[in-house]
Amino acid sequence: MLQPEPFAGEEADEPGPSVESKNQAERITARRLRIAARNETKTRQELGEDSQGKEDIQEETRKSQKEVEKSKRHMVKLQSDGLELVTNIQVAVDARESDRRTELEEACRLRRDKLENEAKSSQEKFEEITRKWTDAKMKQTPLDLRDAMNSQQQLCEQILGDKNKLISELQQELKASDDHYVKDLKRQAKDIDLLIERMEEQISSLKKSYREDLQQIENSFDEERRTLLTKHRKKWGHQMKEQSEKELRNMMQGLSLLEEHEDLLQKLRVWKAEEYNTDKIRMDTEVQNLRKKLQEVKFNCHLNEEKLDYKYEVLKKREEENAILKSHLKRKIIRMQDVLNNLKSKCASQEKQLKTEEQSLRNDYTRIKQQYIDMQKKARHFAALDAERFEKLWLINEDEVKALAHRVLETDRIIHEQQLGLAWVSPPLPFMERSGPIEHKTLRTASQAAADTLQEETRGDLVEESEGLGDTASGVNRRTVKRILELLCDELGFLVESKLLKLVSHLEKNDQSLIKLDAIFSAIGIESEKDVYTMAEFLMNYRQHGREQRELMEEEETTNNSDFIHHNDLLVALKEFTAQYCRPHGVQASQKSSVLGLIMRDDSEDAAHWESIANVIPESKLRLWSALDTAINKYHTVLTERAELLVETQNVQQQNTELRQLLHLYTTSKASAEPEMQPTRMRQFPM
Amino acid sequence: MSRSQSSRRTGSMRPVNAAADGRKMRSIIAEDSEWSLELVPLLTTLCLQHIIKHFREKPILDELTPKYKAYVLQRLPTSLPLTITANLISDESYWKRCCEGRWAVSDVSTYDNSWKRMFFERHLENIIEFFIPDATDTKTVLDVVPLCRNYVKRLKVSQLLPPIRESPRFDEDDRSDCASDTGSEGPSMDHFDFRILLDKLPNLEELNVVYGVKGCGMNFEWNLFEFTFRDCEFLAKALHSCKTLQVFRIHRSKVDDEKCCLLVSQLLDHPSLQELDFSHNHISDRGARAIGKLLNRSQLKRLVVCNNQIRGPGAQALAHALSKNITLLSLNLRLNRIGDEGGQALAQALVKNKTLVNLHLGGNNMTEPTAVALSQALVENCTLKNLNLSNNKLGVDGGKVLEEGMSHNSSLVECDIRLTDVSQDSEYSRQHAKIKHKHDPSAKV
Repeated sequence: MLQPEPFAGEEADEPGPSVESKNQAERITARRLRIAARNETKTRQELGEDSQGKEDIQEETRKSQKEVEKSKRHMVKLQSDGLELVTNIQVAVDARESDRRTELEEACRLRRDKLENEAKSSQEKFEEITRKWTDAKMKQTPLDLRDAMNSQQQLCEQILGDKNKLISELQQELKASDDHYVKDLKRQAKDIDLLIERMEEQISSLKKSYREDLQQIENSFDEERRTLLTKHRKKWGHQMKEQSEKELRNMMQGLSLLEEHEDLLQKLRVWKAEEYNTDKIRMDTEVQNLRKKLQEVKFNCHLNEEKLDYKYEVLKKREEENAILKSHLKRKIIRMQDVLNNLKSKCASQEKQLKTEEQSLRNDYTRIKQQYIDMQKKARHFAALDAERFEKLWLINEDEVKALAHRVLETDRIIHEQQLGLAWVSPPLPFMERSGPIEHKTLRTASQAAADTLQEETRGDLVEESEGLGDTASGVNRRTVKRILELLCDELGFLVESKLLKLVSHLEKNDQSLIKLDAIFSAIGIESEKDVYTMAEFLMNYRQHGREQRELMEEEETTNNSDFIHHNDLLVALKEFTAQYCRPHGVQASQKSSVLGLIMRDDSEDAAHWESIANVIPESKLRLWSALDTAINKYHTVLTERAELLVETQNVQQQNTELRQLLHLYTTSKASAEPEMQPTRMRQFPM
Repeated sequence: MSRSQSSRRTGSMRPVNAAADGRKMRSIIAEDSEWSLELVPLLTTLCLQHIIKHFREKPILDELTPKYKAYVLQRLPTSLPLTITANLISDESYWKRCCEGRWAVSDVSTYDNSWKRMFFERHLENIIEFFIPDATDTKTVLDVVPLCRNYVKRLKVSQLLPPIRESPRFDEDDRSDCASDTGSEGPSMDHFDFRILLDKLPNLEELNVVYGVKGCGMNFEWNLFEFTFRDCEFLAKALHSCKTLQVFRIHRSKVDDEKCCLLVSQLLDHPSLQELDFSHNHISDRGARAIGKLLNRSQLKRLVVCNNQIRGPGAQALAHALSKNITLLSLNLRLNRIGDEGGQALAQALVKNKTLVNLHLGGNNMTEPTAVALSQALVENCTLKNLNLSNNKLGVDGGKVLEEGMSHNSSLVECDIRLTDVSQDSEYSRQHAKIKHKHDPSAKV
């Protein structure tokens, strides 16, 4: 759409003076226009589809632009043409000048040649003359001389003539060149005139074309402006009309609105006036009430003021008191401080005192310690003495007891023989033979027991059997105990100190296990042989208790370990054992005291001893005795009752006699009913 | 007079009264019915007029407010001495009046639109042009220098007068004698010495000199157009001292090889020279060699040696310089005699050169071989835009070869081959080439 336009312009311009160059120029400008148009379309596309009006404006402006472009092209062409026209003259003149120069050069060359030739010829002639001069000198006769002179003269004239001819030729040339110069000058003047003429022509034509173009451009602009103006005016009028219509409509609307609002205002005014009246009345009443309240408040205020005044006074007084108190307290504080200082000094002195006291107490302590040691010595000594005395006492008492036993037995015999009439058999009396306090064999310690049990192995089964009787009491087989101990030895190695293990390592197996067991027992808290057995028993029990659960396992290894605690359970079992049987520490403490050297006698057996002595008469016999005693007692009581009843009967008989007398007396006096009651009471009393 | 004064006084009182009391206003009718308050000049204008009147004795200008300053400047006479006005007044309108009062024709556009610059430049030119050595005191020039040194950028000296002291004697003598005497008494024929001037002008950028007399008419004498060796020496030294010079032109001054060498030797390594113009002189091969040397020891952009007598060897020297040059944009060798020898050398230089834009070889006696060389150069070269080969006898074949060369070239815009004996076809193609745009590769040759 855009491309044809520049081409159209080209066509329009084509009927110009010079066709070819014009065509070219047109082409270039056309291309330029095309590029510009392309750019324009691109920008327009970028801007988006604008309104139709804008496009119109663009098209219209394009018309004027086209005009400007056209004129520009035209001008450029005209200028270049004019320039060419003008420079043509210069070029022509240049050409003429260069031609002239070549001519000049040629002429110069010719002249030079001519001159050279001339010079040569004249030189020859001159040489000839000079030669002839020598010849002339040779001539003797004046006639010859004259001839020679004449010929010389002729020759000289010839040379002169040649020279003169040359001069005249040169002068002619000079004249010709002068003429030429004048002609050149004239021609140049003409050329310059022509140049000026052409320039002026050019200027005038350029002026004319400029003016024309300007006119055209102005016309196009005017036209454009006019069209624009009319369009805008139309648009303006249209919009004005619309505006006025709109305004009219708005005004009408505004008027109607105004009326509505006036009505509304009137209504509101009335309503407001009513409201105002009611409000006014309400307010008046409220004002009155408030006035009353105000007065009350004023009264209250006055009252409060007075109260406050009074309180203020009181507070003032209190303040004064407080001031006095404060001063008192201050004084007190000062005093207290003095006291404090005193106390501090006292404290310091006391501290000193205490130190000295402490020192003395320490001395005392050392002294007392010494004393304590002495006392211990004494105690040991006394203990020995006491033991001696105890033995003596024991013997005395035993004798006494034995005597008593004898007596008892004797009485028993007597009772049996005399009272019951039975044959008396004396009971076994082992203690009768013995005398002196019971010598306890010391308890075997656990380790010893363990050692024994372990050593049995070596001794063989025979020995065991012989000793087996003594051990059956504990209810545990010796062999089993041994096994348990071995087990303990294996399982509880961790209780043994590592140092010990090292020391022990080189000993025999039995010795090793013995030492280990010793350590283990001390760790668990087992001391005596009994404990060992109780432990063994406990473990056996434990095994039996847990057997049900482990029967399957046990069945598989029925051989040796069948009746044996499983080594896995051992630790658990031992834990339980220690929890149950752990000895209280007090016992250990008592034993410790024995360590001091005071051998405490074990008097546990003593009681039994004495008991056995006391129980010479067995229980059955005692029961017999007691039954006998109760029977005899009953017999005795019956007897005594009989004796008492005898006395009583005597007394009652006596009283009866007395009462009969009394009754006799009373019957004679006033009361008759009461005395009847009296004798029944009297009778009941002795009961 | 007294009457008018009195009336003026009353008139001046009247408005004050009226302003003081409107009710008591009393109309005082002036004696002169045509008199009115507008006719009374204001005191300020009177003062300003006084200032203008006595500006010569007491120049007051910068102290005035802008409004009054403009008033004063509008009315200052142009006859004021330059010593007062030169450095005081910078207003263009005043200088415009000065210029217009002094010269009939004045085109301010060639002076950067500065009337003041124009005035001073032309003033100085005038002084130099009418300076007669030995007769005129050098003070006349030196007095002006401090006034105009800040404004002069260009000096176009269109004539330099010779000393007139001995001229009467020469008039009596024979012409041939005169010619011989001028040679012997050369030193006495010296012109104005530029040394005293050029180093005092700090802004000078352009200098045009013609050692000759303008419009001598029938008083023509050869010695009026003599450029002596001493003149040349002075000029060369003056040019050397002027470091701001950018353009130097010397026309129609009979500069021969010797003087050219002298001038060039002083211009070597000049810091700012950009244009050199030796038009219409007598430089031949030696001078051309010197100029060739100068080409690569300066920042020359334009070189004009038209209408000289440079022949083949000189052109070869120039071509050699051109092949190494990187600054020159324009070279004008119009109306020389470089011939085919020089033309071929220049064509070969064009192959190497990458800066030259304009080349004028018009009227140089070149023929077909040069055309062949140039067409080859055009194929290689891509900077040359304008080539002028007018007035050379290139012949029909040369034109064809050249046409072919141009068809491979993309930069050439204009090629002038008028009056070169080429055929009509080539002429036609020349016209095509003339308007060929360098950015339009589709254009046909």
